[in-house]
Amino acid sequence: MQIQGHILSEFDEALNTLKANTITMATLTQKNVENAFTGLTQRDLSICNQVIADDEEVDQLEIQIDNDSLQIMAKFQPFASDLRLVVASMKVTHNLERISDHAVSIAKRSRKIIKSEDIDEVALIEPAYQQALLMLKNAILCYTEGSTEKALEVLSMEDDLNKFHKIASKSYTKKLEEPSDHYKIFLNLVFITRWIERVGNLSTNIAEDVIFMESAQDIRHGGELEE
Amino acid sequence: MININNVSFSYDKGKTEVLKNISLDIPEKKVTSFIGPSGCGKSTLLRCINRMNDLVETSMITTGQIDVMGQNINSKEVDPIELRKHIGMVFQKYNPFPKSIYDNVAYGLRIQGIKNKKTLDQAVERSLRGAALWDEVKDRLKDSALGLSGGQQQRLCIARAIAVQPKIILMDEPCSALDPIATAKVEELITELREEFTIVIVTHSMQQASRISDHTAFFYLGELIEYGQTDTIFQNPSKKRTEDYISGRFG
Repeated sequence: MQIQGHILSEFDEALNTLKANTITMATLTQKNVENAFTGLTQRDLSICNQVIADDEEVDQLEIQIDNDSLQIMAKFQPFASDLRLVVASMKVTHNLERISDHAVSIAKRSRKIIKSEDIDEVALIEPAYQQALLMLKNAILCYTEGSTEKALEVLSMEDDLNKFHKIASKSYTKKLEEPSDHYKIFLNLVFITRWIERVGNLSTNIAEDVIFMESAQDIRHGGELEE
Repeated sequence: MININNVSFSYDKGKTEVLKNISLDIPEKKVTSFIGPSGCGKSTLLRCINRMNDLVETSMITTGQIDVMGQNINSKEVDPIELRKHIGMVFQKYNPFPKSIYDNVAYGLRIQGIKNKKTLDQAVERSLRGAALWDEVKDRLKDSALGLSGGQQQRLCIARAIAVQPKIILMDEPCSALDPIATAKVEELITELREEFTIVIVTHSMQQASRISDHTAFFYLGELIEYGQTDTIFQNPSKKRTEDYISGRFG
């Protein structure tokens, strides 16, 4: 549906700002996830610290977007696609904030791992990470473009994510069952694998929010998109 | 309750049609809102339902038919005065008679020939209670209605309309001259009245339509663009023009 501008230009500006801030927050969140993984694999303490520091900006943007959304609802009383954009943006930012929190958790554990000996098994995490990152990137893209089609693609990626998560988890659990000097590292990697999976899960939540925003259909918890 | 079937209407003997092939069914004991920009025909259609447009000599329904409770209201057998006993109307500008509060409410009943004081007293109290006005005016029923506040005067007009126990109440922008508190009281009243009456309301307030109505019809340039459940119209309209109008975009 081709949407024209509002008669009240201030309303247009408020919605545009809301969307732009959400996209900015999404970009920062994605960067935090990428940095957290880089910090772990490149054993770079400063990058890990950077992730923890940058999360503050994501948190502040969440607060600002919530405030802006309330302002829009109070001032302009949006209906239909405008209302869905505001509600979906608030939900998307909530999911982004949690994703960035997971990036922080990964960075904190990575700092501990870096202090220990470098082991090859860290690489086992890569397929799950790449899948989760792709899901996050696509989820951000589907919000930016308002694409239901891309949102459905994100949802279809969850099975592979679960598979990669299971493989990595099992490997680390198996390592933990064996006597090893690296058991603390493996334990931290189990946690990190779990957080990476959560990044992918929360990306599907964003995709579902976009589907609601675009089609007014709520497909959460097993619902299906009707034509 | 009200079945509007392919109705076109003209104010100038058919030269120009201000309503074009309108069809919609208005259900019983529900609130139905007519929305749309000025000049879209919503008030004209409302006035077709109780034949108020008969007062304009050159006006006519050029095609179609309106049935109210199964009766074609434009058939020769139907007396418009009789029809309006079943269809009350409340206007944009509250218009109580320059009489007492009591006499305003009793007016329609007296016209119907009811003179018994006890019957009138009961009907006045019932109607004022029904219009959520009784507690505010019970001690000054003989005072002039013109001394009431705007919101009270409008609710008095609603009491006057329901006193004759119509089946349908038509409201033409009933809150446009009221402040937000008085508007809230009238809206609260409308949601209570829907249990007993079929209500059709013309409003320019999207928020009001979304709050109080079960169904909403959107009109544009004399055409019915979309009609459906209010939730659907305001959350996910199927027509672009509806979306543009309710969200304040250029149409």
